[in-house]
Amino acid sequence: MAPAAGARKHNIKEALLFLAALGFMMALPMWLPNRFYIRLVNEIMIYGLLAMSLDVLLGYTGLLSFMHTSYLGIGAYITGLFLMHVAPGSLWLAILVAVAATMLVAWPVGWVQVRTGGLPFALLTLAFGMMYFTVAWKWYSLTGGDDGLMGMPRPDITFFGLTLASSGDSHAMYYFTLIVVAVCLLLTWRVIHSPLGAVLEAIRENEERAAFIGYDVRRYKLLGWMIACGLAAVSGSLFILYKGYVGPATMDAFAGAAVLMMVLLGGMGSLWGPFVGAAIFIFMQDYISTMTENWEIFVGAVVILLVLFMPKGVAGLGGLLSRGQKA
Amino acid sequence: MGALATVVDLILNSLVLGGVFLIVAIGLNIIYGLNRVMNLAHGSLYALGAYAGYTLVNLGGNFFLTLLFAPLVVGLVGLVIERVLISPMRARPMVYTLILTYGLMFVMDGCLKYFWGKETRFIAMPEFMTQTLSLGPVQYPVFRLVILLAIAAVMGGLMLMLGRTRMGVNMRAAADIPEMVSAVGVNLRMVQMGAFVLGCVLAGVAGALAGPLFTVYPVMGHGMLISSFVVVVIGGLGSLRGAIYAALLIGVVQTLAEFFITDLAMVLVYMMMALILVFKPRGLVGEGKFE
Amino acid sequence: MSPILSTSELSRHFGGVAALNLVSVAIEDKQVRSIIGPNGAGKTTLINAITGRLPVTSGTVTYLGQDITSWPIHDRVKRGLCRTFQITSVFKGLTAFENVRIARQAHKGGSLRLFASRGSLKQVTEDTWAILERVGLTDKALAPCSSLAHGDQRVLEVAIALAGGPRVLMLDEPAAGMSPTETDQVAKLISDLGREMAVVLVEHDMEMVMSISDRITVLHQGGIIAEGTPAEISDNEQVKDAYLGSEKWAPLVALD
Repeated sequence: MAPAAGARKHNIKEALLFLAALGFMMALPMWLPNRFYIRLVNEIMIYGLLAMSLDVLLGYTGLLSFMHTSYLGIGAYITGLFLMHVAPGSLWLAILVAVAATMLVAWPVGWVQVRTGGLPFALLTLAFGMMYFTVAWKWYSLTGGDDGLMGMPRPDITFFGLTLASSGDSHAMYYFTLIVVAVCLLLTWRVIHSPLGAVLEAIRENEERAAFIGYDVRRYKLLGWMIACGLAAVSGSLFILYKGYVGPATMDAFAGAAVLMMVLLGGMGSLWGPFVGAAIFIFMQDYISTMTENWEIFVGAVVILLVLFMPKGVAGLGGLLSRGQKA
Repeated sequence: MGALATVVDLILNSLVLGGVFLIVAIGLNIIYGLNRVMNLAHGSLYALGAYAGYTLVNLGGNFFLTLLFAPLVVGLVGLVIERVLISPMRARPMVYTLILTYGLMFVMDGCLKYFWGKETRFIAMPEFMTQTLSLGPVQYPVFRLVILLAIAAVMGGLMLMLGRTRMGVNMRAAADIPEMVSAVGVNLRMVQMGAFVLGCVLAGVAGALAGPLFTVYPVMGHGMLISSFVVVVIGGLGSLRGAIYAALLIGVVQTLAEFFITDLAMVLVYMMMALILVFKPRGLVGEGKFE
Repeated sequence: MSPILSTSELSRHFGGVAALNLVSVAIEDKQVRSIIGPNGAGKTTLINAITGRLPVTSGTVTYLGQDITSWPIHDRVKRGLCRTFQITSVFKGLTAFENVRIARQAHKGGSLRLFASRGSLKQVTEDTWAILERVGLTDKALAPCSSLAHGDQRVLEVAIALAGGPRVLMLDEPAAGMSPTETDQVAKLISDLGREMAVVLVEHDMEMVMSISDRITVLHQGGIIAEGTPAEISDNEQVKDAYLGSEKWAPLVALD
């Protein structure tokens, strides 16, 4: 049938683009002049994953989370605490535990949030985000307070018993991040195009009508929320493995705005957009924050300008050029 | 005797804190009710009010004068914001104005830092207000009592304004049925603009009142913004009555929590909010209008 | 035969105003029941109260022998209580096909398959094409919904509701804003559907109402003032009074 054929063609195009991007990222370290840039690109991939998880919520489900970095932070703290206090060598287990524990935290919070409706949902993400921040900042004995979580061991990167490298090595960490992010991207792509993804899309388009065709809207919103928080937790694990450290500033309101800006820059409702947004943002931050102390004003102003003049972001520009997908 | 003094002290402190929350939250509610905009820069406007007060007192102005000066400054800034940023966004989905005002919050915070520096500032008070008053066994700072009176006056004035003046009546009508107001020849745009500025003026008053109370620093608005959200959400969006209950409740809980468990006090406040929302997802007063 | 859907003394107040006042109505299976009345009579409020869009102030709604008064919306829909909206409410950013498909998926299940493709729900896809065929939207199935003409969007409303496998189909002014040709087509469709399921129709086009209804209920100021066959209603003096001065009643007079 017609839509299936069209979709297949589109899928093949997307698959080729994905493989090309993956190949490019594989080869990229060869061209990068030094370790600093490798680490910068590593950070871009991590924040790209976080921004993509926010976009699953914002672009595909229509829910706004102001403090999505909270869940990166929680994932990072749990990974770190697990490696420090439970099993110093178990990298994969630490990631799994972090994702599971983050989702365990996110579940009741999400449950309360989806009961209240669209706008209160957004306000509550801010309130709960500040709560997490307060805990990370003030619970000194657990989190290290303002100083952050330090002294995390560097586990080896293993694969089915095979030790590949140490996570302390920049190159190894780069490839590790790349592979985890790529797998997450594929899984997310699969979910977005699944029957569940279709339901989330319908809720974004018209929440009331979605209820009137028989969907328990709150339940599906909660599912979307859980997926987004799970992905954010993965980005958190990658974050602490890459940095070797996590502090409360990772989860403050400004960090939340930064992720939102990445999504806006890249354009809502596309999976690759947030990665582009993250790249632009992090390069800009690297460049501009060395020149001015008023980085905050700059970020805020760009967010305002984006909303006013370019609400579809870079992906929107792409859409205009190729008349491809809707943003 | 010490115990009684503590109890009275805690009650008065709760009222002061709840009162400040109330003024900020009602400003948010009025703006939302007429503009369908949740202004995330509201905490920063409150901070601006505090800084305006600080500057005036520093230049030798009277503390009571700041209660007029700060709202004036913040109201003017609010007018500019409404004209330049909010007005063009009316037709767009609410998520855009949310993100826009979030960006504005960081611009304003950055500006506060730029003009006044990162240091914490203290507002000097008139001599008589630094003394304490004996209320039976309790010694209570005159200053806090003055603030309580001022909050009551602001609320009274606001009620009069909404109940008796033409602008107020139009605002209440427009919050209920905007189409109706346009139909009877009231300029809806003017009413919406007026509501936005009024909300900002209230934030300015709250800032001027709270400045001497909590000290003045660039991100002082963040905590206030979150607390006033909690008040608005618990009270029920758009509900003035709900905001009063919720503000008092949060005032009491936060004061007690800070007294007993200090550092993680806010966590308790959020837990209580979550609990209330589990049972009353639309807020304490269910008239809240949700999008 | 016991009714498939009934309300008992259903009331809904807005502030001090009763938009619905003690409405008791029984809907029979496999019939077209029209609900008419002047503007503001409470027709849409009645549908909203029955389908759960508005909480009721008092009274009960009974559907398939169960008291559903306080059921959540989606549970009512899952049992086959489907509706359309007076103001077109479709998934604007999706294609017409996807609009119907997503509704069919809700009915058939499979929404929790995270790692399958949408096309893997074969029965859903097949049914979707059948429904689009039935309402005559096959040609426009892959166009984005926002590019459809008004009349087609109204038809799509009906198709979405049909995808829910309705046992009771509530149509809120399906022909609003349609051309005479389109109205005729939709009237034919509704009339056919009325042989398969219970259809509740709110409509201002009296010609259509008189020609396809099995029974008519007349609402006025939130209460029922008459109920009967089209012929009985057109002779009813009270109904004529209620409509007095309203042009909407003209076609009925012509029918006499």
